[in-house]
Amino acid sequence: MVEIANPGMLELVVDLVLMPIVAFVVGLALVLMARRVRAKIERRVGPPFLQPVYDIVKLYSKRTQISHGWMHDVAIMLLLGGFITAEIFLPVPGMSGLAEHGDLLTLIYIMMVPMLGMALGVGDCANPNGSIGISRALTAMLAYDVPYIIAVVGACMVYGTSNLVEIVQIQQAGGPATWGIVTMPLLAIAGLISMHGMLGKEPFEIYIAPAEIATGPMVEMSGKYMGALFVMQCFQLYTVGVLYTTLFLGGGEMWLTFLPKVFAVILVFVAITNLFGRLRTEDVIAWMWKWPTGIALLGLLLVMIDV
Amino acid sequence: MSLLDLLLLLSLLTTLYLYAFGNHRNAGHLGMVVYAVATGLVIAMAGPLADGTGAVGSTFAPVMLGHVLSWSMDGLGWFFALLTTGAAFFASWYMSGEWNAEQPNKRIQHGTLALNVFCMLLLLSSGDLLSLFIGWEFVSWAAFLMMTQLGSHAARAAFRYMLYALAGAMAVFAAILIVKAQIGSFAFADLRAAVPALSDGLKWLLFGLFGLGFGVKMAIVPFHLWQAPAYSFTPGASSAFLNAVSARMGLFAILLVLGKLIGFATLSDLALPLIPMDAKTLLMWVAAITMVVPTFIALMQTDARMLLTWHGIGQGGYMLLGVLVATPLGTAAGLMHVLNYASYQMALVLAVFAVIHRTGTADLDELGGLIKRMPFTYLALLMGIIGLAGLPPMNGFVSKWMIYKSLLDTQQPLLLIAAFVGTLGTILSVYKLIHNIFLGQLRAEHQKVGEAPGSMLAPMLILAGIGFATGFFPGLALGVVDVAQAALGVELLPHGLGGVYLATGSLNMIWVVGIMIGAIGFGAFVFYVIGNRRYGVHQFDNYAGGHFLSADIRYHFSHEFYPGLARLIGPWYRGSVVNMENGLMIGLKTAGDLWHGAFRIAYTPFYLLVALAIGLWWAGLDGGF
Repeated sequence: MVEIANPGMLELVVDLVLMPIVAFVVGLALVLMARRVRAKIERRVGPPFLQPVYDIVKLYSKRTQISHGWMHDVAIMLLLGGFITAEIFLPVPGMSGLAEHGDLLTLIYIMMVPMLGMALGVGDCANPNGSIGISRALTAMLAYDVPYIIAVVGACMVYGTSNLVEIVQIQQAGGPATWGIVTMPLLAIAGLISMHGMLGKEPFEIYIAPAEIATGPMVEMSGKYMGALFVMQCFQLYTVGVLYTTLFLGGGEMWLTFLPKVFAVILVFVAITNLFGRLRTEDVIAWMWKWPTGIALLGLLLVMIDV
Repeated sequence: MSLLDLLLLLSLLTTLYLYAFGNHRNAGHLGMVVYAVATGLVIAMAGPLADGTGAVGSTFAPVMLGHVLSWSMDGLGWFFALLTTGAAFFASWYMSGEWNAEQPNKRIQHGTLALNVFCMLLLLSSGDLLSLFIGWEFVSWAAFLMMTQLGSHAARAAFRYMLYALAGAMAVFAAILIVKAQIGSFAFADLRAAVPALSDGLKWLLFGLFGLGFGVKMAIVPFHLWQAPAYSFTPGASSAFLNAVSARMGLFAILLVLGKLIGFATLSDLALPLIPMDAKTLLMWVAAITMVVPTFIALMQTDARMLLTWHGIGQGGYMLLGVLVATPLGTAAGLMHVLNYASYQMALVLAVFAVIHRTGTADLDELGGLIKRMPFTYLALLMGIIGLAGLPPMNGFVSKWMIYKSLLDTQQPLLLIAAFVGTLGTILSVYKLIHNIFLGQLRAEHQKVGEAPGSMLAPMLILAGIGFATGFFPGLALGVVDVAQAALGVELLPHGLGGVYLATGSLNMIWVVGIMIGAIGFGAFVFYVIGNRRYGVHQFDNYAGGHFLSADIRYHFSHEFYPGLARLIGPWYRGSVVNMENGLMIGLKTAGDLWHGAFRIAYTPFYLLVALAIGLWWAGLDGGF
């Protein structure tokens, strides 16, 4: 049995409270960045600085808040709860939270809990557009998770551990030459593409498809239900950005060097997303299983030869 | 009289009694009491087995053709015996109330359950290869009786099962005879001692024959076709019992013979010609294919029972893969998955049969919206699917995590990716299951459907609860696993109540689940306290495309739930194994017809001609002419 250094009780409590709050605040800033970038591309002025906050306040205080049943309500709690749990197992500079008690594989599966909760809640709304949206979202998950998992497995092989704290330490100790993006560039590319799919940005947003299935999973979400989805988006952008930074960009010893990387990762996504149209579901799978999966398998092969 | 004698005797008497008087309305309750006592007896045996070398013997030792047959239970058998009696307890509970009252053939249901338990205990306590074969045959035939009870479709599936089982049994029997011919003994210890001296060819032969025989019971690809229909169309609790326990007898036998007697290490030394692969790696890849292919077949099912049983086949692949990794972590993972799978699969199958009990159908295209009518059944099914999909906080996550981790630590990324892909397919499939039955639109004919009765709800909710408890505190299950692992001679996995700590990444479920509960609680606080008041609408209050929808318009999106995926991977379902099976059947039938024709139809002149020709040829050889 391996002994691990337990943080002091006070430090742990601070981590438990601060990690989700930091994630939320940074997530809000990421949402703002995404919208501003989109506005710049479309030659609009874009939203003011506090617009994400205004949106959440607006949604939570709306008069129309329709519940379609208890699973619909529980789904909203699962969304928030699942992402808060994920943040606590995702180490960031100065705060490891509980990352020693659950590794990267655990984190991947914790991140699926809010997805499942959302799917169940949407199903309870009994709107066929919602169900079609979930069907497409889960199909897309099957598509992008294959290259994603190959990238994650390859990274674990390279670092020789699935402990996220150690993965960061290895890259921090070795400098940029040991960053994942240098030691396993193909896996880093595959990871970037699959995470783009995970965020559901164009061209992988067939499950929202407003003109076709009326925003799919969101179709019956009003008021704070929609607000919770907005909050989820903040967490999701943050989690994906931080996870990519941790695996491939060396993580960070302090926030000043860490946050720019997280923002850069998300900037890549939001900058290129507007270039694309929307792929059909089967095309999403076909493309994901062809290009990023091929690149990832090639990367994994290189890793296996090296290891 | 030893504890094992007592257990077998109790089990035998229960079988006889329930076969005779199983129609009594309290048969289910009697079964519960007996299986609870049997479980107690099994637990009482744990003491001497814990160190891995002990065994509880039986005084019953008949002599057959000069060989003394022996029965004794070691830690490995004990582990599976605990599973068997436990599963029988819940199955009997399910059959104790309303279910029992409405079944036309309750005597058969109770009787075959007791018979299966007895036969399995007999197999699990076999003390030599001959008693192993006897137990093996008993188990096969007992399962056959259980499956045929309803006749029609189930009987057809059961017959197919029997053909596979007989083929498997013949392979096992052949292997046992070869062992006897080579080393002159049926004793486990003699085989174990003689293995290093055997030639490679003989090892391959034994590996092939035992692997085939036991693999058929486990339904590893390509011997998997029989299992899903045979388990699915068996009624209620019997189906749940078969699902949870029956195929595990194959795993038990593989662990005993290939793992303990022949040894997985011996298998890794058996290299294949031409390709860089050994017998163990070959079996691991077979396990990986068994994880992935049946899972994606499950995804395409439209019958809830078939969906679950196809997943059962896939989950068997995870167990086999885990134990084949053969490190302390891998073995513990595979064995723990046996327990975990039994808990959630039983809960799932029982929940689906509760739905059938209330609505009369398991067709995923003809249900929907039952969450408001059967909320507790929904809860049991929900917890079950989270376990089956292997997500936290349920126990299925822990054992799967350990399997992933063991593959990662032994540097086998491709097998790990196969395991992940199987899990992804499972997530899609189980969502379809719960969505099509419980979410979406309620059909007009199901508006008056009520919740399942308490006697059916209690066992499935408790099983789901066990799944949650052993997910929260995996140490509970790992403690039981230790006994079997010690008996296998694999080093024990150090673990705590919350999980395992390894140098390369740890898992403590107490923290994971604790934080998750806290965070969801916080989510509930935000939901209820912050924001404007919500108001609920009726289940039927809905619209789509600008139209209000009512119960007479069917809008539940259920048929072909994943159309995009089906369009892409649909052509991959070519039924290759089904075609192989058909080809084999046609070949056998042709051979049978020829043979039949030869001895039933008297072509006397033809035979005379043949005899004459052979005679002339022989004479010609002799040089007479």
